[in-house]
Amino acid sequence: MTDILIIGAGLSGLFASILAAKVNADVTLVSAGHGGLSISHGCIDVWSKATPSRSFSRIRKKHPYRIAGKRALDIAIAAFEEITHDASYPFSGSLSRQLFIPTAIGALHCTALAPYSLAHSEITNTTPIAIGSIAGLRDCFPEMLVRNLRANGYAVERSIPLSLPGSEPCRDLYSTDLAYRFDDSSFREQIAQLWKPRLSGIHCLGLPAVLGLRQPHQVFQSFQELLGIKLFEIPTPPPSLPGLRLEKVLFNTAIHFGVNIILGSSATGLIDRSQKLKRVSGIKLHAANSSRHLKARNVILATGGFLHGGLIARRDGSIHESVFNLPLDYSENRPALLAPSIFDEQPYEKHGVRVNSQMQPLDLKGDPVYENLFAAGGIIAGADRQSEGSRQGIDLATAQRAVEAALE
Amino acid sequence: MNHEFLSTDHCLKCNICTASCPVASVTDQFLGPKAVGPQAHRFQHPHYALPDVSEEWCSSCGTCTIVCPHDVPVAEMIAKMKERPHRETPWRDRIISRPEVLGRFAARFAGIVNRLINSSRVRTALDRFLGISSKASFPSIARTSLRKSLRDYYVKSPNRLEEISRLTVGYFHGCSTNYFEPLIGELAVRILEALGLYVFLPPQVCCGLPLQSNGLFDAARKLANENIKYLTPFLREKIPIVGTSPSCMLAFKHDYRSVLGIDTEEANLLANSSYDFFEFILQFVPEDVSRINYNKVTALALYHPPCQLRGHGIGIPALTILRRIPGLHLEVSDLACCGVAGTYGVKSERYQVAYSVGEKLFQQAFALDVDFIISDSETCRWWISKHTELPVYHPLEILARSMGII
Repeated sequence: MTDILIIGAGLSGLFASILAAKVNADVTLVSAGHGGLSISHGCIDVWSKATPSRSFSRIRKKHPYRIAGKRALDIAIAAFEEITHDASYPFSGSLSRQLFIPTAIGALHCTALAPYSLAHSEITNTTPIAIGSIAGLRDCFPEMLVRNLRANGYAVERSIPLSLPGSEPCRDLYSTDLAYRFDDSSFREQIAQLWKPRLSGIHCLGLPAVLGLRQPHQVFQSFQELLGIKLFEIPTPPPSLPGLRLEKVLFNTAIHFGVNIILGSSATGLIDRSQKLKRVSGIKLHAANSSRHLKARNVILATGGFLHGGLIARRDGSIHESVFNLPLDYSENRPALLAPSIFDEQPYEKHGVRVNSQMQPLDLKGDPVYENLFAAGGIIAGADRQSEGSRQGIDLATAQRAVEAALE
Repeated sequence: MNHEFLSTDHCLKCNICTASCPVASVTDQFLGPKAVGPQAHRFQHPHYALPDVSEEWCSSCGTCTIVCPHDVPVAEMIAKMKERPHRETPWRDRIISRPEVLGRFAARFAGIVNRLINSSRVRTALDRFLGISSKASFPSIARTSLRKSLRDYYVKSPNRLEEISRLTVGYFHGCSTNYFEPLIGELAVRILEALGLYVFLPPQVCCGLPLQSNGLFDAARKLANENIKYLTPFLREKIPIVGTSPSCMLAFKHDYRSVLGIDTEEANLLANSSYDFFEFILQFVPEDVSRINYNKVTALALYHPPCQLRGHGIGIPALTILRRIPGLHLEVSDLACCGVAGTYGVKSERYQVAYSVGEKLFQQAFALDVDFIISDSETCRWWISKHTELPVYHPLEILARSMGII
């Protein structure tokens, strides 16, 4: 019997597990696989429309931010910064000032917190910069990147093709292939020797985010020193190092604080029917082709939305919550789930379970479905997290509230 | 995970598996699990092999299946591609995949064999003529096998079991415990007995996993069916099976059905009645476990949970107990695999890749200056010990020490 069982190993699930374990709760985290975090940009988007702290009161009432409350967001951000700081993976930015970081194609992405290497505070749009492209690395588009960055007002001087030592690789290289090599200090020294002559006259260089996975901040600092110029990293399409680094930091922190992590198991909810009060008793784990029961006093559902397995849309138009089959409010008009353009607000994004301020999922009448079940992150209804640019902020704030409520 | 032909379509190409693959990260000769698994799977003909042979670089650690969030059996797809009846299997692979035969033979001449496998001349010759890396790790052969020293524990069929009220469990020791590390088996039995269980050794053969990893599926199936035949009578009496080797238990729980395709009621029964040692004691005798009087084990240790244990999808149950031992300061490795992956790192042409996979673990052990390393799988222990020159223990050896059993 575990005190708190968390289902889902994305940002909200991992963050919730650390918060609970830090106050000595007995925590088990179960996940079918790695969560959405590992394919994300590894930043904390809170609200892309304007500075979040100012516009908070203008957000509609049924939005997860309003339900969780500004206080939860503030506490969560501080807790997140403490976790990443303690893991020597510092973030820049704050809730009161937005950061704009270049994407892989040179668009500007608005975020609240970004890893230090992505949001180098000394780089402004008046700093003359060069963009390095690495031979053999897939998903690296220097021309488009330079053109779009210039259009966005950056003083990009040129792009510089950079090569790798050794013979030509047998296949396209993933960003992770390079990151593993950059983790090795002798490889960094070798690369610095090779690249230095090509970088004369350059003061600031943007590179695809490949500078290390295991101790990225240290790798970044040491490589910057070796080259003797300012560096910044630009996230690549998946596999994306900033997301993987953050995931690694959170997994390792969770293990450090004693979270029991069960990876590679899907879950079916178990209901306690012996009591008068409606409670959940845990889950049935489906792992390696066999099933086991896992009992828990409290369960936090952090399974995400349609893209992450928390919600399932069937061809008949029905929508289901994947673990406890919680009641959902939806219309069976399947085409209405999608907007005509991919860049529009997407109706499907707002689907999910409704919760109260305790983060307890509610039935269609507005009463908690189970006394000891809580929800966090993308499974919660009421936000188009993509178009709002609010994905990670909601993950953190609702996880904070869910853990507080579960520990009460 | 049985419906793999359907679940190929669940692959979103997110690359989570590729990003986690220990082999792809150190060699570009392997295309990566996504490309070799679900991507190539769409083009596979039932009777013709794919021209690409990059799947031979896969070490079968299973990490891709574990990290996949969409239930795509990536590792299983790649494992099945290794079954190629028309391809010649090297002699070397036919030899190293039969630990039981090797063990039974070597046990008779333990002294000589141990001296021979430690001789650099012999190792050079094995490397040159058979392709068994001279830098790879070999276990030493025990003079007395576990089955010999625990002769009295052997129970042939359930009707020979004594009528007792205690919880009863059959211990599957596997080849390596029997021939190479009998101490682990003896300690396992003594811990289970100290926790109030009645333990016996059922009839058993090699689990067959080494054969499966080397593409010898028919031979592996034969062993699997033998184990199923021997164990089913016990399972029908609701007697669970516990193992100390995560790879054997993974074969029982998963590979017999999902890779070897043995789709019978008996195989299901075996899968659902097999347990890792620590999973078992935490689930079946939690009160007795919580009453253990742990003695101090003052040490700094690095714990590496093997890829085969991660494959169970049960978390890391040994960690729960190791953390209760006073004085034991534990660091947990976050490396998905130590590199050797059973017989993979033993092969001359794979050795360098296997070493590179495990290198970060060895470096971590040196950087932390640990007293010893802990790991559940036998091949991991031998491999890590060889490359760090540190003692590497099964977690139950540490538990036994803390319980005062050794």
